[in-house]
Amino acid sequence: MNKRRSLIFSIVRGLAAILIALAVATLLIYICAEGDTAADKGAQTLSALHQLLVGPAFRSNGALSTKNLCDILAAMIPITFTGLATCVMFSANQFNLGAEGGIMLGAFTSALCAIYLPLPGGILPLVSVLAGAAIVAAMMLIPAVLKTRLGVSEMVCSLMLNYVVMYIIKYLLNSHLADKSKGQIQTYEFQSQSLIPQMVNNGSKLSWGFAIALAFVVLTALFMYRTRWGYAIRMIGINKDFAMYSGIKVGGVIVLSQVLGGMLAGMGGGLEMLGRYNTYSWSALPGYGWTGITVAILAGNNPIFVPLAAFFMAYLDKGCSLMSTYSNVPSQLIDIIQAVIFLFFAAEQFLSHYRQKLVVKSTQEEMKLKEAAASAAEGSAK
Amino acid sequence: MLLKMIFTSDFFFSVLRITAPILLATLAAVIGEKAGVSNIGLEGIMMISALFGSLTAYWSGSWAVGVLVALLFGILVSLMMGFFAFNLKTDIILTGIAVNMIGSGGTLFLVKVITNSTEGKALASTTSLITKSLQIPSWNIPLIKNIPVVGDILSGHCILTYIAFLLVFLTWVLLYRTPLGLNIRSVGENPNAAASVGVSVLKIKYIAIAIGGALSGLGGAFMSMYYAMGWSQDMVAGRGFIALAAQAMGAGEPLGAMLSALVFGFAQALGIKVSATGVDSNLVSPIPYLVTILGLVVFALVVRRRIRRQHSSAALQETASDK
Amino acid sequence: MAEEYVVEMKGITKVYPNGIAANQEVDLSVRKGEIHALMGENGAGKSTLMKMLFGLEQPTSGEIWVNGEKVNLTSPTVAISKGIGMVHQHFMLVPSLTVAENMVLGMVPKKSGMFIDSKKAVEITKEYADKFNLHVDPDAKVMDIPVGMKQKVEILKALVRGAKILILDEPTAVLTTQETTELFKELVNLKKQGYTIIFISHKLNEIMQITDRMTILRGGRSMGVYNTQDENPEKISRLMVGRDVVLKVEKDKAQPTDVVLRVRDLEYVNEWGKKMLDHVSLDLRKGEILGIAGVEGNGQKELVDMLFHLNTPNSGTVEVNGENILGITQRKIREKGVSLVPEDRMLYGIADGGTIEENLISDRCGAKHLNHGPLFDMKAIHEESDRLIKDYTVLCKSRAQQVKMLSGGNIQKVVVAREFSNDPKLIIADQPTRGIDVGATEFIRKKLVELSRSGIAVLLVSADLNEVMELSDSLIVMYGGRIAAYFEDTSDLNDEMMGEYMLGLKQQPAEQIGRVCHE
Repeated sequence: MNKRRSLIFSIVRGLAAILIALAVATLLIYICAEGDTAADKGAQTLSALHQLLVGPAFRSNGALSTKNLCDILAAMIPITFTGLATCVMFSANQFNLGAEGGIMLGAFTSALCAIYLPLPGGILPLVSVLAGAAIVAAMMLIPAVLKTRLGVSEMVCSLMLNYVVMYIIKYLLNSHLADKSKGQIQTYEFQSQSLIPQMVNNGSKLSWGFAIALAFVVLTALFMYRTRWGYAIRMIGINKDFAMYSGIKVGGVIVLSQVLGGMLAGMGGGLEMLGRYNTYSWSALPGYGWTGITVAILAGNNPIFVPLAAFFMAYLDKGCSLMSTYSNVPSQLIDIIQAVIFLFFAAEQFLSHYRQKLVVKSTQEEMKLKEAAASAAEGSAK
Repeated sequence: MLLKMIFTSDFFFSVLRITAPILLATLAAVIGEKAGVSNIGLEGIMMISALFGSLTAYWSGSWAVGVLVALLFGILVSLMMGFFAFNLKTDIILTGIAVNMIGSGGTLFLVKVITNSTEGKALASTTSLITKSLQIPSWNIPLIKNIPVVGDILSGHCILTYIAFLLVFLTWVLLYRTPLGLNIRSVGENPNAAASVGVSVLKIKYIAIAIGGALSGLGGAFMSMYYAMGWSQDMVAGRGFIALAAQAMGAGEPLGAMLSALVFGFAQALGIKVSATGVDSNLVSPIPYLVTILGLVVFALVVRRRIRRQHSSAALQETASDK
Repeated sequence: MAEEYVVEMKGITKVYPNGIAANQEVDLSVRKGEIHALMGENGAGKSTLMKMLFGLEQPTSGEIWVNGEKVNLTSPTVAISKGIGMVHQHFMLVPSLTVAENMVLGMVPKKSGMFIDSKKAVEITKEYADKFNLHVDPDAKVMDIPVGMKQKVEILKALVRGAKILILDEPTAVLTTQETTELFKELVNLKKQGYTIIFISHKLNEIMQITDRMTILRGGRSMGVYNTQDENPEKISRLMVGRDVVLKVEKDKAQPTDVVLRVRDLEYVNEWGKKMLDHVSLDLRKGEILGIAGVEGNGQKELVDMLFHLNTPNSGTVEVNGENILGITQRKIREKGVSLVPEDRMLYGIADGGTIEENLISDRCGAKHLNHGPLFDMKAIHEESDRLIKDYTVLCKSRAQQVKMLSGGNIQKVVVAREFSNDPKLIIADQPTRGIDVGATEFIRKKLVELSRSGIAVLLVSADLNEVMELSDSLIVMYGGRIAAYFEDTSDLNDEMMGEYMLGLKQQPAEQIGRVCHE
């Protein structure tokens, strides 16, 4: 099947998965809808759907809301980074699920630097974010090395680390580092020179972190497709034996893939923290890691498509929170939508009949071309 | 002083109580792995069962109905997982992750809908719904309860606790004394051999994942109807994942699973005791998770040494010459 | 007379979708109560034929008759219902289950409706074991029993499911001599009880021992049916091993110089206790193609695996230009100038999810000329890929095409393009033209000659007689893990001699074999 058909097939499959998810969502919205008659509920459902699909970008009068759009772009930042991290790790067939704990640890580390390091502006945010990235990268050595040396499942290991990270941060947050004067659990404020400046001045929280996120999308794509290490990661993911036989150091590259994933997740945490907040208050795992997995799957593990997938998820997420504010639909709907999209998108046999049809069609066309060429050659030979 | 705290019958009682839900999930993992199915979604299944079990108990006024429903939901969700993983060929790990998402977000969604609270209101939970009367009952074993020390440790547990430990034996019987168990183990070890004698590999995998779902369902019921009074967000707290590690540490066998689950139960009980002395609970909570990682490492080292010592027997699949 | 034949396969042809004909118009007739050998070299079509008899494959054309009834064997279950049982080369046993449990899998006796009646299972096992004199330990776990007993269990499994016709696929490949003798006693016993046995093998001396008649396949066709006792090994050997068409390869005479590869006293016993490499020593020189001939399973695979660290020997040394290559990483082996065209191209040779270009550069992704600092020099990579595609005439749409879309021959050309082009000093080519079209085959062979004449040492392992006899300058024959013969000049060889050494009928004296070591 040629490239164009392949692409069309992927898009059709993606749309089908999304439609099914939306259908499920609609059903659930209907169930939540207020109203006594079916008609009432129907109307409620439609208005909720409107909020979900149209609301995030458009104001009630139909005009495009730049503030809302900026909010969405800002929301993209953390999941772009966890998406990139997951792309890198999944490309090597490593099911490291530690981006969740990673982004939290990165955010926390950066926050601490932002509060306590006596550095000037410009340098402080840079150092803080890098510190976050470095610590998480180092943490990922644990599941990575345990996997390559002892064959311990990187998945279970990383899942456990998520919880360990969460509790240790909670502890530090509650005890030593809390600003006791405030009502809720949070640290002291970040020094003002540590904050990442805002990109747009319209009330949204869109910091320059967004530009950095896009930069890293490009960097990661370059890394995966234009360097020998990214190449090695991808080959190992396709066929580990082939990589070994070709002379690639499989163990080292596997460790590299997880460490890089950690670095990206940590960086995402730092940028999110210093771009949007002025104090650290996350006392639970933020959920960005799981969304990052959905993003990676939608992007087909290709970094270039991550921003698109991240925008899509952020858009839906905003839609769900709008629905929860105005339509009585709990915002957790986004989790259900994600899971459904996920399940169908990653299902290889989903629409396999359709793919078969396309393959057959392609083969038939190719044969026709061959015949035509053969008879043309015959004709000219006579 | 710590030692004095540990060697009380009270402490061991709590070890057993804490171990029970982990044990149920671990047995689910054991059966699944025996059939060659890695069920990452146990966490999500427990959450879903915990919610539906406690809700049904509330609505029906009977804990038994609640437990039954929890069990049924466990089976239902795992069958759905099987459909995606075996028929639609979604990677089983991704299927599990999706189930976990539904288990954490979807349950909260449902609770908010039911309790009519969305954003802005307090954290939704059904804590108030499960009263003492709806809790799964405990059983004070007649003669045993009077034995000093031992009686205090063994008697008075929730009946699901006893069932959980009984299930260790029953799982062993299932796997090693029934035809179904034979089929499960064959499908897991050499699906070709099973298929060559007419065993339906697909059917067996579905059965195995469904049994696992049922066990996790019971684990979920335990959590929301005894361990805690009602469902709350994130209440399963990774037990489904710990179960995976416990299965690995237990060499994939029911007895090993029980011992590994007890190790975690012990670690967690210890943590709670320590935090009662004033140490911040957040410092103590990571202990079971760290113990898991440690356990996996130890297990891996032991296995490595064993393989080095004996010549591999996995060569059953290979012969010395090809055609 | 149709009645005396319990199995008749008439005019069986099997053509695979890729165009390869595994069997062509083959006839096979087996009498009731006889031990019938199905013989031939690798690739002759023996196992394909039997797969069709056991319902694992369907013939493209032809008929199968069992017990006088025309049958359509669509699956093993159908074959079993007709009384046909097969003992596969790769045992269909579950390692952690006991012998008795494996026996009754799928037809487990129950007690109280729910539990396994293990006593009954053991009884059944013992009953059949005694009846057929196949002694097995019913309570032992399959992973703990020796290979010989595993095979007995497989046979019993077939018998307990009602097989009257047993197909044994290369049964002695995994057995020691002792176990082989035992197996033969058991087979004779079965025959006495009226069972029919079809015995696939290429081991001539064994066939002569216990079979009544033999059907010889060569190149997918039948060379006829013969009574064992009327024939002699040499004649059989000529029928089995021989070329219908001799393909001459144009090449200048080799002028070998220094020794590049030096193998001394390689010993290897596999996990089942079978000695696969027995004092193997050889030298390979610059500018020569040394062929390794032999029926598969005589140690060639193990030898190649040692050379590329896919396995390690129990003892012995291997050096390339004076440096050891045993037990080191593949990267280091490649750095010493060794390239391998692997036997299984889909497993090791390519990454099937990658593009042609990605597959061409896998062994040199870190090379200076392909990188600009941390980044790939895409222009250089594209140029190199295009050049290789052109030089090796890989038929494809572009370098960005998925490699799995190519035909087998073109995939192998990609492998070969990569392995030949990284300036190797030693090329190991393991079945380099197996399963590919004529055009690609010719190209690869020409290339091997060209490279060898330019000074590269080539080790050619091939089960294709034409290839190994015509392409090699000198060759060794491996049999039973040993070198059975060394011929410095292949132009003196004839098929008969080859057959005799390949089938173990003859062995050169040690000093003649020793000439393969030039240092």
